[in-house]
Amino acid sequence: MCRNGVGAYPKPQSIDGWYSSMRLFIDFVPVLVWALLAIALVAIMLLASWVLRPHILQNSDKTSSYECGEEPVGTAAVAFPYSYFLYTVLFVIVDVMGAFLWLLSVSPLRISEVIVWQTFVFVVLIVLGIAFALHMLPQTLLDGKETLRLYRESKAAREQHDSGVQV
Amino acid sequence: MLMQEFEALFEEVEFVVIAVVVLLLAYLALEHREIVYSVFFFGFMAASVAGFYLLLEAPFIAGMQIAVYTGGISALIIFGVLLLPRAQGSSLEVLQTPRMRRIGMILSATVMTLSAVLALVFPWSQSFPADRPPIAQDLAGLAAWLWGEHGIYVQLVALMMLTAVIGSVAILKMEKTEKLSPLKDRPGLGSRGKENEGASETKAHDEEHQDAKEAGTQ
Amino acid sequence: MIPLSWYLVVAFVMIGLGAYGMVTKRNLIRILIGAEIMGNGVNIALVAFSLYNPVFSFTGQGLIILVISVTAAHTALALVLMLMYQTRYSTVDLGEPVTVEARKSD
Repeated sequence: MCRNGVGAYPKPQSIDGWYSSMRLFIDFVPVLVWALLAIALVAIMLLASWVLRPHILQNSDKTSSYECGEEPVGTAAVAFPYSYFLYTVLFVIVDVMGAFLWLLSVSPLRISEVIVWQTFVFVVLIVLGIAFALHMLPQTLLDGKETLRLYRESKAAREQHDSGVQV
Repeated sequence: MLMQEFEALFEEVEFVVIAVVVLLLAYLALEHREIVYSVFFFGFMAASVAGFYLLLEAPFIAGMQIAVYTGGISALIIFGVLLLPRAQGSSLEVLQTPRMRRIGMILSATVMTLSAVLALVFPWSQSFPADRPPIAQDLAGLAAWLWGEHGIYVQLVALMMLTAVIGSVAILKMEKTEKLSPLKDRPGLGSRGKENEGASETKAHDEEHQDAKEAGTQ
Repeated sequence: MIPLSWYLVVAFVMIGLGAYGMVTKRNLIRILIGAEIMGNGVNIALVAFSLYNPVFSFTGQGLIILVISVTAAHTALALVLMLMYQTRYSTVDLGEPVTVEARKSD
């Protein structure tokens, strides 16, 4: 962005006249070139395989599935178990967590004590969710039996204390 | 002076190219007949919007956009398309009534006109950006803003992720969705808890009876 | 310098496209894609506003980070609800259960 002398930001001395290093977008043009090269690589591989393949008609008998001599009816799609979807959700959760942690890792704040405790709480909360999804939390904790047991123990201790005081 | 004009023109050319690519991909994402193509166009569109963020001098957000949207949400939707075999047939859009299309056009035309008035008539030009510190300071400053001053929102995001995981597990395991009955099975993947459940349920019953008796006698 | 109104025009066109997609389409996945396009348009508007600001502050960028992460969780739950819709009605069409119920009552 060209600044017409609005602030006191010093213009860096550029080597050749037309390249200005103040604009972020120009710094990322190599990334764009790399992405285009990757797309071109995939396209060339697919094109090469298409050229080298033997060409068969789409609807001929050679490409249809074999059903012991009967005519195949419908597609061969299998019912996918729904529980596999959970892994993708877990990936998105971990991705977001990674983005937050990466932001913290490039700043000098990561060694201050308050921030370390905040990071600990953040990671523990998300790991709790992942542990729940992957079956790693004890069932008694989830049912509330642990809290029930603790409540009963504390109630018994309180009654003992009260009866001891009265006697 | 010529170099500055050239640079300004270059910037405008970049903006127009990215805007055209984004809007074209968005239109294709909505209008293409095959769903898998549509989801891929959406993934590419998200990557191009990251280019917009680079023009707006927000490099971390550009990276996060590509990682979360193209890498996460686009993959989620493709997985959803895989799990929903009825969605893969391209015959659903033929049944569209012209009335629905007209309502959609009127609604989006209204939205776009009102916001075009807002965008082009309001005197935005009176606000100019101040000095930009260089980019390395930007990331440290952003981390200080997010984790330092407003660290509570990061913990809220963690709670929201927790809720999303627990919610998706709970909804996926519901037996009959119209009755919204509680979980019959042990939550999580697989159904390993079935043998323990019979024993633990009877134990819970006995303990509850004991508690009621204790409460009754006192 | 690109004037702010250009960015806003692009953002609002994307919001309009997303709204059109959400209202018009019958396939549930396309409706979700329309919602995501709307979310992207809103994010572009937010980042544009954070740049064209007389006082420099990180509020816009930080807000965008939170919004993107919340949108990711929201999309995951929306897809889970779609799976349950498919389980219940065995279709991914939005208008079909209503028409079937209406025809049953005739």
